[in-house]
Amino acid sequence: MRYRFLFEQMVRRELRQKYKGSLLGVAWYVVNPLVLMGAYYLMFGVVFRVVQYEDYPLFLMAGLVVWLFFSQSLLSAAPSLLDQGALVRKARFPRETIPAAVVTVQLVTFLVVLALLGIVMVAVRGTLAPALLAVPALLVALYAFVLGLALVVAVLHAYFRDVAPILSAALLPWFFVSPIFFQVDSITHDEWARRLLTWANPVAPFITAIRQPLYLGTLPGAGTLAYVAVAATVALVAGRALFARMQAELAVVV
Amino acid sequence: MRPGEIVLERASRSFSIRADRGRTLKELVLRRDHHGPAPVRALDDVSLHVQPGETVGIVGRNGAGKSSTLRVLAGIIPLQGGRAECGGQVVSLLELGAGFGRDFSGRENILLNGALHGLTRAQTEARMEAIIAFSELGDFIDVPVKTYSSGMFVRLGFAIAAHLDADVLLIDEVLAVGDEAFQRKCEAQIARQIEAGTTLVLVSHDASLIERTCARVVVLDDGRVVFDGPTTAGMPFYHRLMGTEEVAV
Repeated sequence: MRYRFLFEQMVRRELRQKYKGSLLGVAWYVVNPLVLMGAYYLMFGVVFRVVQYEDYPLFLMAGLVVWLFFSQSLLSAAPSLLDQGALVRKARFPRETIPAAVVTVQLVTFLVVLALLGIVMVAVRGTLAPALLAVPALLVALYAFVLGLALVVAVLHAYFRDVAPILSAALLPWFFVSPIFFQVDSITHDEWARRLLTWANPVAPFITAIRQPLYLGTLPGAGTLAYVAVAATVALVAGRALFARMQAELAVVV
Repeated sequence: MRPGEIVLERASRSFSIRADRGRTLKELVLRRDHHGPAPVRALDDVSLHVQPGETVGIVGRNGAGKSSTLRVLAGIIPLQGGRAECGGQVVSLLELGAGFGRDFSGRENILLNGALHGLTRAQTEARMEAIIAFSELGDFIDVPVKTYSSGMFVRLGFAIAAHLDADVLLIDEVLAVGDEAFQRKCEAQIARQIEAGTTLVLVSHDASLIERTCARVVVLDDGRVVFDGPTTAGMPFYHRLMGTEEVAV
């Protein structure tokens, strides 16, 4: 780990650039999901009443924070190599530290929000159960999954500038088919639609797996756990391989 | 490879010239990336062997491939043909404040640059005071570098580069920004490092700087080596090439 110190410095650099000149700083990361949560609660919990779960805002929030970590990480990782162009063009260092630092900064804020949410969850829903012990492992898997995808979008965007716009266009419909404000079981009775919504969307199992111990105090099913482990491994291995293959010309293309 | 040794063997590299350097998916899908100007050969079959402790000046016209050569040696740009290798710790000073975060203080940027060169926190902090002293920045060291003048940038940049235990030191035209006193200090520091066995490769248009610091000169023209030999013979060759031959007094 010769470059641990570099990674630490890149994270600091990222943090500094992010919160530069903002009064509330890190607090924005808590405000943002809270506002979204309020909006979706109003939409789906009060106006349309598609689903009726106990403590719906908490259910919503648990899925939402996972989704926000996923989407914000990818959206900020995509242009990250271009943003640090001066560095990429003029210095030699492992370039994967740039998207990795971006994702790690998102992770920190995500963990802060999740910890706050966890405390409220346990207090309101009484879910102080052994299942909570699985959460850290699930978070590691989520981090690996997001990091792998972030490496992919970052290096692809450096070569093909359509990647970031495509990504931001895709994330909106992706959000609505992800089980964030609903549970798959309660919106359709069609077996195939259920399977599709549950397994074809790689983010869905992560959302379900992290929400369940918090919201219900139980462990997610073995299938979901296996999916999460495999998806995390595949994303990280494939992401690193692709990045390694494509990073040589970065100083020329950014 | 011995530390400080440099080998370039039949090195070739071209760049496609275009306004936006990224490709778009449209080109990928339509397979239409052959329009536009033909690629420029920045390095065309360049071979160069530098022994540890040598001082090499690279000169040539704008666009002759000098900076590309340095970026290849620094390991930033890969070759398309041939081989490039540098032994030991390679430290490059290619652009003013290249690795600097503008909102960070000078002190924080020293840490960042140490990290970029693969040093640990302890190693970087051990050099901190020496770097600050060399840079002569005084209290400015704790101020964000975006407030620095270009002279202050080069002071900090060179001070850092000088303290990274380089085996190979690559410098691209940045020293000219410093004032005369600091330039002399840099030259003295470079001389000390060369005595200790560091290899220097310097790109500059400043003929007298090359004459003072480099024993060997490589003249590049159109990506090719057109002269490689002692400075005493190289600089007249360079002046003839540029049509700036000094009139004998």
